[in-house]
Amino acid sequence: MILFRAILLFIVLISPLEANTIYNLIKIPNLEIYNIDTKNQLRYLYATKPFMLGANHKKNINCYNSDKKTLEEKYKIVKKNLDRYSLKFLKKINLKYIVLCEDLSIAEISTAGIPNNTTRTLILNIKFNENHFERAIHHELFHIVNDNYKELFDENIWKNFNKKNFKYSKCSTCNNNWNLELINNTSGFFTEYAKSTASEDMAEIFSHLFFYKDKIYRKDSIIEQKIQFIKSNIFKIDDTFNFDK
Amino acid sequence: MIKKIKISKSEKIMLCFLILLGIFTLSSLIILKNKCLFVKNYNPDDIEFIYPENIVILNANCGNVIIELYPNISPRAVQRFKKLIELGAYDNAAFHRVIEGKLIQGGDLEFGKKENLDYGKVGSGKSGFGKIKSELNGKFKYDKGSVGLARTFELNTEDSQFFIILQDEPLFEGEYTPVGKVIYGLRVLETIKFVPKFHTVPRPDFINSFRLLK
Repeated sequence: MILFRAILLFIVLISPLEANTIYNLIKIPNLEIYNIDTKNQLRYLYATKPFMLGANHKKNINCYNSDKKTLEEKYKIVKKNLDRYSLKFLKKINLKYIVLCEDLSIAEISTAGIPNNTTRTLILNIKFNENHFERAIHHELFHIVNDNYKELFDENIWKNFNKKNFKYSKCSTCNNNWNLELINNTSGFFTEYAKSTASEDMAEIFSHLFFYKDKIYRKDSIIEQKIQFIKSNIFKIDDTFNFDK
Repeated sequence: MIKKIKISKSEKIMLCFLILLGIFTLSSLIILKNKCLFVKNYNPDDIEFIYPENIVILNANCGNVIIELYPNISPRAVQRFKKLIELGAYDNAAFHRVIEGKLIQGGDLEFGKKENLDYGKVGSGKSGFGKIKSELNGKFKYDKGSVGLARTFELNTEDSQFFIILQDEPLFEGEYTPVGKVIYGLRVLETIKFVPKFHTVPRPDFINSFRLLK
């Protein structure tokens, strides 16, 4: 035991300090402040160098720093979209830090964003598909909502909205069809990607509520039910939430 | 017959130079070793305070650090802080985490006391009074000299450990429960022992005493 503690102490003492306030707060290295003076108190950070994240030696999340111009352009888009959320709502869903970087991937699979409930952080890939970038911001934010309110967004209730013979994939990346385009014959789903998992389906419905109001889904009773489910539960979190802002 | 050799002028200069160099080296060693030499020690009795009931005095190796507490911003945290100060609980507690020019942290009452300092566990100790809830909604600017309660990675885990920042830290706002600000004696804190590029301090400096003014 004494030997173990001596080794532990030695490791602690020889571990170089990452004396970085941001790192200490959200455990992501190589970040700097982009803007922290925002109305809804979201703190925007950006990568100054590539970073890798993950438990122990299995760092399977990668993201890279952007050039100044891209960062400026995308920051404006991200901020415009996230300004829709009030401080009250953000506090309730426990979101505080937005990390902007590009070519974000998890296990070498490109992704639009990675939410982290514990660190109150959402990492956003600012080089994500241009056509769906704005919607993806809301999609990823919904995952934070979902992670915080699992009991409200009950997947068993959700699954019952679908046709009886429908089954989701085992995971969001198990299916090869990740198409994010709005499908013509919706039949309960806005996109092919929505068919991957219940939580991705919810996130797709949530994000579409900001962009395709009253378009196709009025004709689709399944989507109509899903929208009501999402809206009513969002209002349970914050009764002043406004999808039309 | 021994011939007397006269010291040349250049030799005289050289000798004087060597003597001066010796004096300079010796005095420098004495001055440099005394890190408190140019640190002003404030006497709270010489200062008039608007809210003396919210003034606490931390005494470290180089003198007094006078802190004003803000119970209107963080009532629970200030109450806990005052309670521990009143009990003398912080006396002989180590400044176990010191980041050069950035932050000093101390107040581990379980594993950070001089008499039972545990290097393996310091920073994880408890006060015995339980955790308190984070108070993050008050308006407080974390600028140089701000004092806050330390916590684990999770909110609502504040106990006895506190930190004082040695530079502005805007990101701390809304993250850490503030308790007050250093109003005199920040230089004393800048002399607290640290190890460059490390945050754990072997053979750390200790709080001599921590008292309420009234």
